Amino acid sequence: MEKEAILELRNIRKVFDKTVALDSVSFSLYPGEIHGLLGGNGAGKTTLMNILYGLYRKDDGEIDFHGKKLNIQGPRDAINHGIGMVHQHFLQIGNYTVLENIVLGTNVAHPGTMKLDAEANKIIELGNRFRLPVDPNAVVDTLPVGTRQKVEILKALYRGVEVLILDEPTTNLTPQEVDDLFESLRVIVNEGLSIVFITHKLREVLHVCDRITVLREGRNITSLTRAEASEEIFVRAMVGDQMNIEDSVYFSHGSMANTAVDESSNPALEMQNVSWKTKEGISRLSGLNFQIKRGELFGVAGVAGNGQRELAECVTGVIIPTDGRILMDGRDVTALPVCELLKGRISYIPEDRLHDGFLPKANVAQNLILGYHRQKPYCEGVFIKWNTVYDKVRDAIGEYKIKTNGPEDPGGNLSGGNIQRVMIARAFSMDSQVLVAHNPTRGLDIPSMDFVYNKMLERKKTGAATLLISEDLDELLLICDRVAVLYRGQIVGILDRKDFDKYAIGRLMSGIQAEETADLRAAS
Amino acid sequence: MESLITFLRLTLLSMVPFVLAAQGTMLGGRAGVFNVAQEGIMLVGASLGFIGSYLAGGSTLVGILAAMLVGGIFGLALAYFTTSLKMNQFVIGLSLLFIGTGLSTLIPKLVIGVTLSQPLIPTLKDLPIPLLSNIPFLGRVLFSHNILVYFSILLSIGLWYFLFRTQLGLELRSVGENPNAADSLGINTSKHRYVTAVLGGMLIGLAGAYLPMVYTGTFTEGMVKGRGWLTIALTFFAGWSPLPVLYGSLFFAGIEVASYRFQAGGIAIPYQYLLMVPYLATILVMMFTFRKTRVPGFLGNNYDREKRSL
Repeated sequence: MEKEAILELRNIRKVFDKTVALDSVSFSLYPGEIHGLLGGNGAGKTTLMNILYGLYRKDDGEIDFHGKKLNIQGPRDAINHGIGMVHQHFLQIGNYTVLENIVLGTNVAHPGTMKLDAEANKIIELGNRFRLPVDPNAVVDTLPVGTRQKVEILKALYRGVEVLILDEPTTNLTPQEVDDLFESLRVIVNEGLSIVFITHKLREVLHVCDRITVLREGRNITSLTRAEASEEIFVRAMVGDQMNIEDSVYFSHGSMANTAVDESSNPALEMQNVSWKTKEGISRLSGLNFQIKRGELFGVAGVAGNGQRELAECVTGVIIPTDGRILMDGRDVTALPVCELLKGRISYIPEDRLHDGFLPKANVAQNLILGYHRQKPYCEGVFIKWNTVYDKVRDAIGEYKIKTNGPEDPGGNLSGGNIQRVMIARAFSMDSQVLVAHNPTRGLDIPSMDFVYNKMLERKKTGAATLLISEDLDELLLICDRVAVLYRGQIVGILDRKDFDKYAIGRLMSGIQAEETADLRAAS
Repeated sequence: MESLITFLRLTLLSMVPFVLAAQGTMLGGRAGVFNVAQEGIMLVGASLGFIGSYLAGGSTLVGILAAMLVGGIFGLALAYFTTSLKMNQFVIGLSLLFIGTGLSTLIPKLVIGVTLSQPLIPTLKDLPIPLLSNIPFLGRVLFSHNILVYFSILLSIGLWYFLFRTQLGLELRSVGENPNAADSLGINTSKHRYVTAVLGGMLIGLAGAYLPMVYTGTFTEGMVKGRGWLTIALTFFAGWSPLPVLYGSLFFAGIEVASYRFQAGGIAIPYQYLLMVPYLATILVMMFTFRKTRVPGFLGNNYDREKRSL
């Protein structure tokens, strides 16, 4: 079946400052297909599609659409030609309604009065047709992530696109929502549209895509149909020869995680009825109870914004619980200041590295000792021993493969992935009883993720505990001994490794079981 | 009764500079451009409004147009440096403030020279609305004012309708909330920022011209007396919305009139304390309302399409 490609990108090149983001990349799209664009972080997938959508200007190369040369100056041109894009970070106006967000930038029937009944009906009709039901009058900020994504897809469909680009659409969705999304995508391509599906997740690509193109470091690696494809081929295409796949944790399907946990002694961390309320009295965490044993890797799953950040900050002492106690090794540490906790008890990889973990104006060495700068061996009395610091920092830069011009390079010069490496290197630089890692592998490529997993698994040998809070369910299932699910600030279930089931956790994440129990309680 | 009518009349009269300047600030802010040069733009507007009128032989219209023109130029400068050159809005705003303050005293010296007593221009006449102005009480309070009082009320209502009931208003607000989203839907963010910054500057310039044209008939150094700064506070506590801006302006004007009345009334309080009242009121009002109001999400920031976020 030789079909004519509707879209051809040829030899696209893009340079940011001095970094080559895309080096002569080509890509073609056939009508009615879901085309996966696969690659690790920094492979150039999003950059390529942003060029197609007119958000970035290309430095070189050509785009053909329906056999004609296409010159795109901005998103408006792309939309007019029938190309739509759903970004990973939704581009929505939070305080607008669904309806307002969708019609924004289009010509409405009554621009002088904004009576939008016709538009609302069209959105409802589209929603039914493509299995993307939404309430047009709901305010976007109040909607869960899964619904906001439907809004984003409807936004493109409303504009009558022929080509729909989805950038990492499954981030933050529960497994059930992912299935629903894939079903909708099938309906969409069955109506003759084409979809570009950007992702770094192999399993999704194999599950839903008709053809797959792999990028690595801004270059084409391979293009295959699903029939020709296998996980093995993609793994090699994505990571190249930088890592030994047989020995990796990432591709081990969880067989590397051992469950040797020290049950005998006091738990490394114990949460007793921990609650936290905002100043306005809104409850963010309520009645958390769990124990993490020595040598245990304890995972916390949940859709972002269900109290993960507050949990991490309570354990690390950044905020103090409004109720309940936190014990470490049997000792109450609830109100201990952060600097005390950092002395061998806690280490922390914060989620929001730019706001909570990193000083862009300070140099790499200063960033690497931040928080530990009061402790030996970095400090003697009131003076910092810079010779020791620089020695240690040079070691860390080598071990954690931080790409930098040296310890005195300003932190702001590092790329996002390298800043994350600094966070990780710092957290592992001192022994700690409990490591709190919040989305530690965000923005890392597969070999680096593997490195982090190995480091976390190593902690088990010394009896150190880890609290891994992650939005990546696959990651939790891969290495954790137990996984708790956080929903609206409550723990709605804790599963042992033998009971791990993606869909069961997905149900808990969307609060289904929690509401059922509540209903039962109400009934009895 | 008579004193109540006078108080309300004066309040409406004194409301105008607040309304015009705050609506101008609000308009730019709705597209993300945060103007902090009000005090300077109002001063230069007052200065040029006075001189324009003086040179044209007492023509109010020329004065008004001169003030709006110079205000628009300041708005254009703010838009250019922040939107096209992506420079910090506060730094540019403060520079414009000082330029405006300096020009406001320099220009009269160049044009008129140093004189013992400044020349006077005719002040704006009251235009009673036929029939309506005959209504007892209300007629005198509401319907016999100069044209800018009516204009400032109609402007507030018009802006409300424009922002919340038209497609263009929806698009404008989206630029100030999330320009990434607006841009991705083909909305020209720079155009919105330029147009609103210029229109906003024109309104602020006009607010300045009101002072010599209604209050004093002449320009004196520093005659804006902090009204420009109060405008910023007013815009915040009005939540960057046109109608609350109007109510807030009434409130500030009321306090201003009251503090002058007390001074004139010879109450035994040192007048310096009475002069503080508007500013104290600002702080008190902000304490109680500020937490509840919201500001446009992208206020004070510059948008750069190709800037990569980490």
